[in-house]
Amino acid sequence: MLELLPPLNEHNLPWMDTLHPIVVHFVIAMGLITFVFDLIGVLTRRSALFEVSFWNLLFATAAIFVAIIFGQVEAGLAEPYGASRDILNLHSTIGWSLAGVLSLMSGWRYVIRSKDPQQLPLAFLGAGGLLTALIVVQVTLGNQLIWVYGLHTVPVVQAMRAGLV
Amino acid sequence: MAQFIPADSPIEQLAGDLGANGLPYALPIHPNLVHLTIGLFVIAIAFDIAGALYPVEKRVFRFLALPITRGGFHDVGWYNLLACAIATFFTVAAGFFEMLLAVPLPGVTSTIGLQSMQTMLWHGVGGVVILLVIVGMTVWRGYQRFVWRRDMGRQVQWLYLLVGLFLFLVIGLHGTLGAELAGEFGVHITADQLLAAGADLKEALP
Repeated sequence: MLELLPPLNEHNLPWMDTLHPIVVHFVIAMGLITFVFDLIGVLTRRSALFEVSFWNLLFATAAIFVAIIFGQVEAGLAEPYGASRDILNLHSTIGWSLAGVLSLMSGWRYVIRSKDPQQLPLAFLGAGGLLTALIVVQVTLGNQLIWVYGLHTVPVVQAMRAGLV
Repeated sequence: MAQFIPADSPIEQLAGDLGANGLPYALPIHPNLVHLTIGLFVIAIAFDIAGALYPVEKRVFRFLALPITRGGFHDVGWYNLLACAIATFFTVAAGFFEMLLAVPLPGVTSTIGLQSMQTMLWHGVGGVVILLVIVGMTVWRGYQRFVWRRDMGRQVQWLYLLVGLFLFLVIGLHGTLGAELAGEFGVHITADQLLAAGADLKEALP
């Protein structure tokens, strides 16, 4: 499979820099803002915000599949070491699970919106809270891969190629 | 002209309080708030474009049996931008705090040909300029929504969308500088800083 990709650069990547952290902007921001707007919408009875969070949720759901595609390619090239191997495994597992959770929530939300776009059941707000918690855990794991273990950063790739990690 | 450059960096005054990543905490905050700034801004503009092109795309949504309203798209454009403007103050504030504590690896030139100090100056000043533009665009967007175009179907001017698309390019370049500060200059990355300090990652990061 790897011979299908361009040659690897100093980030051990076939493209300029990691793309997964860019795509996840849209999963994280849209996923979190869905819950924030739902909460404000319920508390202040502004049903216009439910429409805003519906579209944000739909976008988060579309974006997570793109994030997973790039995430899997870049994880495959990450050469994790030490405890980062376990963190990467967990990050991948939660990432795929989040795709399922977001898809289910989008479907559920579509039905809610079709029935009455002015109302939001509290159960969905609860699910949004759980989604938020799951995103926070997932972001923390991803943060450790880059900010602690430096996967795909030039110094770590150099050390890896020199057999130092 | 003689230039005064002290041998000790002022950051040494705080060295005892900072971890191996150069921060008083494990994971940097700025790169996480950036998700909100970029995600919310891009989607805000994208949905205002969808609202502006509503007459073209409404057949597609009818085919998808997905009921839509033009006002709904513009609501996303407005509320996401408002949230973006609020979040970005924190993004920039956290960025400045963490840049003051940054210790970029010496002797590195980035992919686009800048050294660390140049990269940090462009990224720092650029961040403030982008915050100002985002706040300006939020005020502009507010006037369009509530005053100038409140009775019109298309809630935004074409110029507003063009400025938004132009800012996509600026943010893309700006984000590249930020990514280089991490991935190439090793700023606030524990493993990179440990390697620069001569540590063995097999022992230091088991």
